Amino acid sequence: MKKIFAVALGILTAIGGFVDIGDLVTNAVVGSKFGLGLAWVVVIGVAGICLYADMAGRVAAVSGRATFEIIRERLGPRTGLANLAASFLINLLTLTAEIGGVALALQLAAGVGPGMWIPVALFAVWVVIWRTKFSIMENVAGLLGLTLLVFVVALFLLKPDWGHLITPAVQPWLPASESPVSYWYFAVALFGAAMTPYEVFFFSSGAVEEKWTKSDLATERANVFIGFPLGGILSLAIAACAALVLLPKGIEVSTLSEVVLPVAQAGGQLALAFAIVGILAATFGAALETTLSSGYTLAQFFGWSWGKFRRPAQAARFHISMIICLVIGGGILATGVDPIQVTELSVVFSAVALPLTYFPILVVANDPEYMGDEVNGRIRNGFGMVFLLIIVIAAVAAIPLLLASGMGSA
Amino acid sequence: MTRARKPQQPLEWYRDPDGRGVDARLHVLDRQMIDTDGVPVSTVDDLELDGVEIGESIDHSRPPQVSEILVGAAILPRIFGGHVPRSRWDRIPWEDVTRLATVVELRVHADDLDATWVERWFRDRVIARIPGGRHAPE
Repeated sequence: MKKIFAVALGILTAIGGFVDIGDLVTNAVVGSKFGLGLAWVVVIGVAGICLYADMAGRVAAVSGRATFEIIRERLGPRTGLANLAASFLINLLTLTAEIGGVALALQLAAGVGPGMWIPVALFAVWVVIWRTKFSIMENVAGLLGLTLLVFVVALFLLKPDWGHLITPAVQPWLPASESPVSYWYFAVALFGAAMTPYEVFFFSSGAVEEKWTKSDLATERANVFIGFPLGGILSLAIAACAALVLLPKGIEVSTLSEVVLPVAQAGGQLALAFAIVGILAATFGAALETTLSSGYTLAQFFGWSWGKFRRPAQAARFHISMIICLVIGGGILATGVDPIQVTELSVVFSAVALPLTYFPILVVANDPEYMGDEVNGRIRNGFGMVFLLIIVIAAVAAIPLLLASGMGSA
Repeated sequence: MTRARKPQQPLEWYRDPDGRGVDARLHVLDRQMIDTDGVPVSTVDDLELDGVEIGESIDHSRPPQVSEILVGAAILPRIFGGHVPRSRWDRIPWEDVTRLATVVELRVHADDLDATWVERWFRDRVIARIPGGRHAPE
């Protein structure tokens, strides 16, 4: 019974924790421009993150080694450092976007801001990382994030013409009103949002934090293969809501108010309140995860003591680096950049960095020294190779598409 | 870059009795080291060899041995080239190594090693002074 409860809790937090500011904004933008015409990207992206998060989680549970220890060991110090620099900077960008998202969500709730909320958000994130146990942090943020299900409810309350809504999803080749360059730019951005590398760093390090062993593999699989796809449905619901309300009126998504507009229209103030709590929990949870990921990547590369299961004094450099990252993220936001634009950049650059993260995981998941008899089978490797190919194509295409489409405005 | 040559001996000759060869780059360098309590110490950043000097003639009665594991600044030459003065090397004696596995296990406590001074510096000067720094998360 206790086991079932643990599995159910894991699945629920995986659903609630799946969506972050990148998914929220990108899905709303895409929905407002293309309807469900890019839904196939979300499906592929979710399948990819399931496959590789499961691999990273399995490596961590079986060998006790987290992702970045493996990256350094397999790629050597020079390539490893290049990888660290890229992953770390993109993670910092994502961290900045998440903190900005927390500030924007608080602005939605309070009506003032967002500038004044940034220090509050930074301090809150730090206090939770400093003092709260890993499992409590994960469960509270994940469960509160479930209030985002209000987007699914809103979708039904909007009483859509389902056939009309679904058509672009099943026939994505039909010409959209936007240019093809912009279409493919958003395809890559959406892919980057779904497969953000920090999710893998966090998932594998989290497995070490929670001291997972081989016997926890069933829980791990349930989290990944049930929780993540259900989280993906949340992403699609956000896009569908935007497609129903924003697309016909030609409203562009430039703040979070447009993201929640369909919910407010469908369910009034109560639904809006749920959406705001959900966005706050999702961005705050993701801010915690990205902050921890920045500490995890550095500590694992250099071999420092790390982990929230230790007292801060027993993982000094890990905690110092996270404090510095929070300060840098706050500094970037203090310049007055638009958090939504930071978000859009962060998902595209995530797409660029994807192969750096995923390739070493695939290699080690095949190494019997680490994995014993839990090495990848042929099917996993087959899918792994296919997704690696997609990831490389997306990574190579990302920057040219970014420039050619002028961040999707062309 | 020298071209790879064919092995001079049959493959078994290079292996240890369990049939598993140890490759310094694959099994030692860049591996995580943990102390007796499982606390991460550092990554193996480089190795120091004893019994062989550049430009000196080789004494074949005394083959070179791995004497120390280098950590800290020793990583820099492996990334950027050049060299770090010997006075800056942080060493962990090879005698402290008990086992090579997916991690390198040491027989000592991380806090007792001179090489982990940076961690102690940040702990004592910064982290321990922030309220709650010495308490376990709740």
